[in-house]
Amino acid sequence: MATVATTTPKAGGGLPAWVRSPKFARLLFPFVVLGVWYLIYYTIDSRIFPSPQQVAVFMWEEITLTSGVRYSSVAENLYVQFGITLMRLTIGFFIALILGTIVGLAMGISKKADAFFHDWVMGFLAMPALVYALFLGIALGFTNIGPIIAVVIAGTPFVIINIREGVRNTPRELIDMARSFEVPQNKITRHVLLPSLMPFFFAAIRYAYAVGWKGLVITEVFASDRGMGWTIKFWYDAHRAHGVIGYAVFFIVFAMALEKLVFDPLADRAFKWRPKIDAVQMAEGDFGAVSREGLLLIEDQEIEEGVSMTNVDGGRDG
Amino acid sequence: VATTLEEQAQGPRSAEEERLLALRRKEVRDRWMWRIAGYVFFLAAWAVASRIIGENLFPGPIRIARTIPELIESGRFFSSFAATLTRIGIGFGLAFLIGVLIGVLTQSRWWSGFFKDGVTISLVSPSLIWALTGLVIWGFEPQGWIFAIVLTSFALVTVNVAEGIRALPKDLTDMSRAFGVTNWRRQRDIVFPFLAPFVFTALRFGFSVGWKVTVLTEVFSSNEGIGFEMRVAQQLFRMDEFFSWAISFFIFALILEKLVLQRYERKFFRWREEVAA
Repeated sequence: MATVATTTPKAGGGLPAWVRSPKFARLLFPFVVLGVWYLIYYTIDSRIFPSPQQVAVFMWEEITLTSGVRYSSVAENLYVQFGITLMRLTIGFFIALILGTIVGLAMGISKKADAFFHDWVMGFLAMPALVYALFLGIALGFTNIGPIIAVVIAGTPFVIINIREGVRNTPRELIDMARSFEVPQNKITRHVLLPSLMPFFFAAIRYAYAVGWKGLVITEVFASDRGMGWTIKFWYDAHRAHGVIGYAVFFIVFAMALEKLVFDPLADRAFKWRPKIDAVQMAEGDFGAVSREGLLLIEDQEIEEGVSMTNVDGGRDG
Repeated sequence: VATTLEEQAQGPRSAEEERLLALRRKEVRDRWMWRIAGYVFFLAAWAVASRIIGENLFPGPIRIARTIPELIESGRFFSSFAATLTRIGIGFGLAFLIGVLIGVLTQSRWWSGFFKDGVTISLVSPSLIWALTGLVIWGFEPQGWIFAIVLTSFALVTVNVAEGIRALPKDLTDMSRAFGVTNWRRQRDIVFPFLAPFVFTALRFGFSVGWKVTVLTEVFSSNEGIGFEMRVAQQLFRMDEFFSWAISFFIFALILEKLVLQRYERKFFRWREEVAA
């Protein structure tokens, strides 16, 4: 039996089936990255470029607290630094969520509010974190307030556009029908409005958290004396490449853990009510949840275009 | 068909049409009024905030409008723009090519599995880690910032191209396979024309990330460019110059992204909409 299983695919493609499976390719990727790393390590003319083992040892010492590095009296080690960042991120995130939901609902419901806020929301959305990071550092010094404001500035526009899209996508016919059958308002809200808003609200949370974090770490470099961003800058200033790369890997692990352990299970719950088409798309989707978010952004852009198109046409009319 | 449509359009409008048109005009007028109101409100809020915080720390819109011409007269303005744009051109240009290549490769399930984690990592991790890693290894050498720009922005390009691959009409590729068309011809005649609009969208999204990380790398390892000027102005506590650099390049990038790229995107692919209609 075994021989049959191994020989048949060989006739088809020249390589055994397990080599040609996407799973194997996925497992292969980290090894290729390591290979490239070693290639650079042995060819680069640099005294500080570390080998993977050096970085692994550094990371292990940071995790087990045996490296002997004490960053400061308040934030001694890796865990405290990450905890501080997480605290700032969460506080800023909730402020952004509240603020963004209010403005987003207003923009979705009223066209006037939409016209009022639109350009400025888009402006803040596209603003690089560097601008407010440098400014907050000078204006507020090394407090917690600066980084929290950075999270709010970074996250709020994403909440706004997603909530606005959610309100625009509520099924009008369903609400009309429910009204004509005299369904009470709280039931409409619970069974029609909220479920249709849910995916957008969820996207808002995910974006606000991810983007807020990215803005936050840059702000911590310039406007803080502690936190994840500060720590990686600490190793950068010390010209310790193994420290910088080690912390870069910690950042990646942190982000991936957030995606896989928090947001993906949440997404499964948020999208549970939806028909199975999505499940099929997700299974076939090459980049899973991420590409779905990309699509959401594209859709938003198209709606943008729609708005400006009507403006142009209206201008011709008038 | 065209002539009848024109005749219809030229004919006298009915009362209903007139009413709808007037309604629409009013809507557009309202929109513009509220839009202008928004601009007035936010600019006033900015001016008031700068009064409260202090003009020197947080300069208001009038001060900025006065500082930008000063910067242009100083002669550093255009050379800084040129330096940053060169970096963007090289770094993001490379990232775009790599991103499109990986996106096209996702047609094969094997390659899509191979790059899956790499793309996800690039999407979820902050540009700061690539910037610092690249710069601590290579310093002022161009590899450092190229590394940072490529690893930050290729993934957004890939995701958008992969979205196009997913929408690829399967019957066309199946048919070309059945008729024994070579892979290269299939790519050239079916995949690439179909992907073109997606690639344009990818370019626009990628650019929006690419220029930001470029400015960030200039803060750490450059002696010219917008990021460098911003950092210097901030360290000298010249906040008016700092905001002038930031805002002038920000507006430039926004115009490039929203007006130029988006407009070309629409112009290039108008034929598609006509086909769809």
